[in-house]
Amino acid sequence: MEDIKTLAEEIQNQYVKKWRDEGGKILGFMCVATPVEIIEAAGILPYRIKAMGSPEKELADAYMSRFNCGFCRSCLQLGLDGTYDFLDGLIETNGCDHLRGMFENWELAKKPAFFHYLRVPHFVRDDSLAAYEEELGLLRDALAEHYAVTIDDEALNVAIATSQDIMGMLRSMNGLRERGEPAITGAEALAVVALSSSMPAQPFKALLEGFLKERSEAKVGGFRARLMLGGAATDELYFVEEIESLGGMVVADTLCYGSRALWSPPDTDGGPLHQLAEGYLRNLNCPRMFKDYEQRRDFVLGTAARAEVDGAVLIHNKFCDLHAVDNVALRVDLESEGVPVLLLEKDYGARADIGRIKTRIQAFLERIGG
Amino acid sequence: MSTQLVHPYEGLFNRVAGIFSIIPSLPDRLSDEDIEGLARLLPAELSKTLKAVLEPGMREGSLAFFKAVGIWADKAAHAKEDGKKVVLMPFNFAPEIIYMFEKAVPVATEMITTLGTVALDKQGDKYWDFALSTGLPDTLCSASAIEIGSLLTGIDFKPDLILSAAPGSCDANSKIHEFAANYLGVPQIMLEKPADTSRRARELYLTYFKAMLREMEEFLGEELDEDRMREVMEKANQAHDLYDELWEYRKMVPSPVPNIFNGFIYGTKYTVWGQDEGITVMQKMVDTCRRRVETGDYPAPREIARTYWAYLFYYYDFMEFFNWMEKRGIAIVGDMPSTWFTKRIDTTSKESMIRDLASNSFDYFMTRQIGGKSILLDWCDDITWACRELSANALIYCGHHSCKQTWSVYSQMRNEFMKRTKIPTLLLQGDMWIKRMTPMSSLHQQIDEFINNVVARPKSSRK
Repeated sequence: MEDIKTLAEEIQNQYVKKWRDEGGKILGFMCVATPVEIIEAAGILPYRIKAMGSPEKELADAYMSRFNCGFCRSCLQLGLDGTYDFLDGLIETNGCDHLRGMFENWELAKKPAFFHYLRVPHFVRDDSLAAYEEELGLLRDALAEHYAVTIDDEALNVAIATSQDIMGMLRSMNGLRERGEPAITGAEALAVVALSSSMPAQPFKALLEGFLKERSEAKVGGFRARLMLGGAATDELYFVEEIESLGGMVVADTLCYGSRALWSPPDTDGGPLHQLAEGYLRNLNCPRMFKDYEQRRDFVLGTAARAEVDGAVLIHNKFCDLHAVDNVALRVDLESEGVPVLLLEKDYGARADIGRIKTRIQAFLERIGG
Repeated sequence: MSTQLVHPYEGLFNRVAGIFSIIPSLPDRLSDEDIEGLARLLPAELSKTLKAVLEPGMREGSLAFFKAVGIWADKAAHAKEDGKKVVLMPFNFAPEIIYMFEKAVPVATEMITTLGTVALDKQGDKYWDFALSTGLPDTLCSASAIEIGSLLTGIDFKPDLILSAAPGSCDANSKIHEFAANYLGVPQIMLEKPADTSRRARELYLTYFKAMLREMEEFLGEELDEDRMREVMEKANQAHDLYDELWEYRKMVPSPVPNIFNGFIYGTKYTVWGQDEGITVMQKMVDTCRRRVETGDYPAPREIARTYWAYLFYYYDFMEFFNWMEKRGIAIVGDMPSTWFTKRIDTTSKESMIRDLASNSFDYFMTRQIGGKSILLDWCDDITWACRELSANALIYCGHHSCKQTWSVYSQMRNEFMKRTKIPTLLLQGDMWIKRMTPMSSLHQQIDEFINNVVARPKSSRK
């Protein structure tokens, strides 16, 4: 496991370096609404931009502001300071207002060789699904033209199958985590999911197979309560480790950089782009979507029930209005189902703040009797 | 929920509608003595506002505006008795769309907040506090959170429908309206703006727009009537022509347009556009400007600066903020909400009206810039154009902490803007609707320093 955690925490891990040394291209994206299968079908490595708890923001603050999400600012910082210079291009999405600003500033400052704006609708409806499918076609065409590659349906179908294969394995991993006696910790699970979008699919699959085999009979003990962690973009492994060090085992999550990305294949006809449009848009479970609160609520309630949690911690990064507002509604619904909730605002990557966070977690654990 | 917070006061809308219902009964012409007498009768806060906006140089237009919003609020307050549905909408939605329906009246969230801010004791503070007491974050926009906070108390009016056109241009606005709809069990219709400026995006937006109209028809049980649509659109067109006249006055040096009229232009747009009152207000404002040109009436010895505001103003100082600048010769020649890229509606057919309405909604303030392909460049393009048209010599960005989109690119937008225009810029921080955040004296000082040391300082005295 230590290998996976180390690999996950390295922005440019050995697999990424090897891919690049062998002449492979790498495209950065950030939002879970980005269909990586199209990038993979082009023979390009999709890399999900993350900051892994990096607290530095001073370069980014010259572009964005302190009223913007710390996660986006930390990611921009890594773009500006050269950490992400291994990326050959970027794919922007309108994930949220902060994310848009981050990408605009990144493009302006670094002028990547390839930059594409993938516009993701905010509703799931027949007309918006058709628009999104058209957007995916535009992304495919832009990649094909810029990199002089052919992206046909066959390649897309292979990429979709590979992706679903990995998602299935990650869901199995979550099964190990959610069971009565968890086989893995929440921090470990988050590291695995983070790594899944930071390296080529095949070697990751091999690593994951080994990990699942190693852990299938394991039992993680010594915790006081079973927790679910939900809310905003959270890739800070230390944050989850701190919660677990207090005895709150994170047996489930609904995080964007965690289990929210593990959607099941859609039951739909049509070509691969149609399947991707349906699959991604219908499974975003993100507060950037509108008029589908019931789906997000059911996803959260379902996860909490399946993992038999004693309580839920719903977090948001300071200035993230989307998650902060949604968390209030989710708290009401979770509590009405008998699941105690702690709403927690955090400043992304700010380890100096961890004392306050730990105090609140401790108090919450005491409240729920853990 | 903390019920103790609720009991001592009533809802924001109810209070606003009550207090503004007084104004339409005032005569159209008020003498100084009338105003002095009126000020003694009205609550202190509203008196302060009225005295500020009823100064002789702007009295006619200001009174017309407050009368219009009084009528608008009254119609909404009595909508249910009149068999109509109240549709709550954020400010980036055109109310004339709602007026096209016989059975609906519009209420704009941000207008209620602003009217409460300029007229009520302790402004909107307690509604903001109530919103936060539910767990909502203090990083939300106070313009929407104050009125939504009042709705959440359960003692204010309850809209029949919440309609939002903010998805794609403002997360905070969209999300809090969605939250309120779910919390209160009110149906919601949303219109998304594709983050693009291409013809394809316009066509997609038209598709979404038509879907929204169908949803409204279904909700109201009323099919859009072409004759009624035309009647509303012709009134909107008349008001639009008057807006164009005002735009020409705004180009003049010194500007004959009172600073506060910028706010009244969009205040009219958000409330009574497509109604007789909308035409009346715009006409009275044009008349006021014409008279100022004819008489050479200007509140300062000379115009020392022509400021363009990159986003919004401050509203919490009972409107005195605008006069304070004007008396120093600091003109506000425009701001984003009063800079329109909309057009007259082609009333030839139902289809032509829908198509043009969708086009205007696409180009609505904030929707057009922030919901564009690039927040930074689309915003910068429009500001650059407006500053050149209006001969602005200073740009001021009033950074509300909630405007995450504009904050996220302001730094580079400012650089790009200054590179293009050589016009100096000032960044202010503060909440436009809550005075607890930044004292007005601090804003006065910053504006004074900027204008006197950077904008109006003779070049020969610069080292």
